[in-house]
Amino acid sequence: MSDDDLLYLDHAATSWPKPQVVLDAMRRWYEQVGVSAERGDGERCQVARAEVAAARRGLGALCGLGGDRVAFVSGATEGLNLTLRALLRPGHRVLTTAFEHSSVVRPLAALRAPLGLSLEVLPPDPDGGLAATGMAAAIARHRPDVLVFTHASNVTGAVFDAAAFAAAARAAGCTSVLDVSQTAGWLPVDVGADVVVGSAHKALLGPPGLGFVIARPGVALAPQKQGGTGSSQALERHPEAWPTAFEAGTPNTPAIFGLAAALRWADAHPAPPRLAACLEEVERLADALGQLPGVQLLRPPPGPRTPVLSLTLADADPAELGLVLDAARIHVRSGHHCAPWLHQHLGTQASGTVRIAPGAPLGDRDRQRLVEAVASAAGG
Amino acid sequence: MTTHPVTTGDPLRDPPRDPLGRYSRQMRVHGVGETGQRRLASATVLIVGCGALGSHSAQALVRAGVGTVWLVDRDIVELSNLQRQVLFSEADAIAGVPKAIAAAAALGGANSACRVVPHVADCSLDFLRNLPARPDLVLDGTDNFPTRYLLNDWCAEQGVPWIYAGAVGSEGAAMVVPAGGPCLRCLWPEAPQGADVGNCETVGILQPAIAAVTAFQVAEALKLLVGAAPTRGVFTCDVWRGQYLLQQVADRPAPDCPVCRRERFPALLAAPTEAVTLCGRDAVQIDPGSRAPIDLAALAARLDGAVDDLRRTAHLLRFAADGCRFSVFPGGRTLVFGVQDPLRARALFDRWVGAHGGAS
Repeated sequence: MSDDDLLYLDHAATSWPKPQVVLDAMRRWYEQVGVSAERGDGERCQVARAEVAAARRGLGALCGLGGDRVAFVSGATEGLNLTLRALLRPGHRVLTTAFEHSSVVRPLAALRAPLGLSLEVLPPDPDGGLAATGMAAAIARHRPDVLVFTHASNVTGAVFDAAAFAAAARAAGCTSVLDVSQTAGWLPVDVGADVVVGSAHKALLGPPGLGFVIARPGVALAPQKQGGTGSSQALERHPEAWPTAFEAGTPNTPAIFGLAAALRWADAHPAPPRLAACLEEVERLADALGQLPGVQLLRPPPGPRTPVLSLTLADADPAELGLVLDAARIHVRSGHHCAPWLHQHLGTQASGTVRIAPGAPLGDRDRQRLVEAVASAAGG
Repeated sequence: MTTHPVTTGDPLRDPPRDPLGRYSRQMRVHGVGETGQRRLASATVLIVGCGALGSHSAQALVRAGVGTVWLVDRDIVELSNLQRQVLFSEADAIAGVPKAIAAAAALGGANSACRVVPHVADCSLDFLRNLPARPDLVLDGTDNFPTRYLLNDWCAEQGVPWIYAGAVGSEGAAMVVPAGGPCLRCLWPEAPQGADVGNCETVGILQPAIAAVTAFQVAEALKLLVGAAPTRGVFTCDVWRGQYLLQQVADRPAPDCPVCRRERFPALLAAPTEAVTLCGRDAVQIDPGSRAPIDLAALAARLDGAVDDLRRTAHLLRFAADGCRFSVFPGGRTLVFGVQDPLRARALFDRWVGAHGGAS
């Protein structure tokens, strides 16, 4: 199938296409390296070690930290599970937000009864944001042991004042866990959170199957799985040192090679102008689509945001619009975007939304194609 | 008040002195005999679909003493089934029991010497290939042609005879497909288009039409299992008009039939229908794989009057039926709202949208 005319607008789910250097780096691992960093002393292991260390340093730098507190995991979902299971204790009080992804919602739901957690979910403000004052008030009211929150809504693109949230948490003696899956690669995530969890395959432009957990020194996390680490092999006891403690099992080294290349690519192609261009595109699309009869846009409040645009149609289910767009070779995402709580507040709990998430500005012709396809479904 | 003689002991659990005694009337029929009865007891029959056709034929085969009967059906019992699907009760319909389970339960009391194994599943190629053994015979109790063509091609590949049966309205048809052909493709190389064929939902179905075709089907099944030569030709009937015919067909496979020539088994190569539950939704997306594209206008004409809220838009056809809403796209992709179970969604898709023809 030719992809010449495919319009891919689902970067908030996973970015595509990846920079060529990412593919080249992964290919290089398969063709020329082929081994894990911590599994031997040969020349190839040294090559692998150097590249894995470079990826750790690059991620650590995103958070204003060195690479030694960066653990690789299979994705943000594993990272959030690991972090929540490691931090939460019986009777803990947990504060979170209505914008969370299922990778926070579901672990909390699973742990709530067994641990007797007291859980408070901060609802969106009337403007669709989360004001720092509201978060500070919620922290004062609920006195949480752990605050876990997303940096941005994957449904509306609203970006929250994570620095203020983390500072308020710290002042209250509360451990903060920040999910940067939607922002890492677009925005600085060095905001002072105690634990930062993210994913390689979205705006960081790396491959899927790789995520990371970064913890500030002094934050104690216990590994949630034990196994081979390549170090301390003679010991029965699982090592406790970062990052090895969290990386039992054969690591996804080709993906780490890809991420290292993506981070270098981003050094040469800084995020701010790319993000600005995508946000301008979202505004153009919002202007054009917002004029169509029956289209309702779910916009974030003024301020920082990520390039996503959610909408609903009066006369068509989001799943129907998704298939209409697919027939027009336009790839978007319809449904709840794994954000089950938020739709209760948006009034979209029944069907969700259609989410358009560009990774680059559209040409005039492609924008016209998209608008016409939505218009035809809206008028249907 | 009559006094009944009191029997001591359990005639089923106590070692029976004459295990074949219960079949004495059947063994007396010319062509069956004790040898035939023993062959029935050692036979395994797969009945595909456990609706009207399947419940009639399953009941007959279990009572006749077939040793093992595998039932496969993905659907649940509904109130509208009870008029013709003789194994089910109102309680089954109220509880929405899977048909294969309800049928096996109903048959349990009919003949404890028969092993009835229910499978709540789609009769897909994957299902057939994962059967624990090759059945001796396959009976068609399906309501759609894609499954019949799958049975046709798989049975030909495996060298297993099968017996086609279908009924709609007051009419029915049945035919033995011997292991060496001629097969369904010899008569009709391709499955009829879904939108062109009526089904029980749109045209209705009379129970006597089911009884007539399964009478032919079960008689032929018994003959095949005891080793007698099956009837050649297509049995057709219209029970309303009182017409019962046997149409002659060629003795030999069609010279260009790819299945009988063992060159190609098209249904074994086709991409399967996929059903995916939409994330977080009470909805399933059906992708009909390689089936023929669906003509929305013809489908709308066929569904008119049988479904609610039928509406055609520039992109799709919408309607409501069986408590679900359907959105059918020109390529055949369909959204079924109001259901989460992909198996149930596929059953509804085949009932209302897919290629049809025959009793359910």
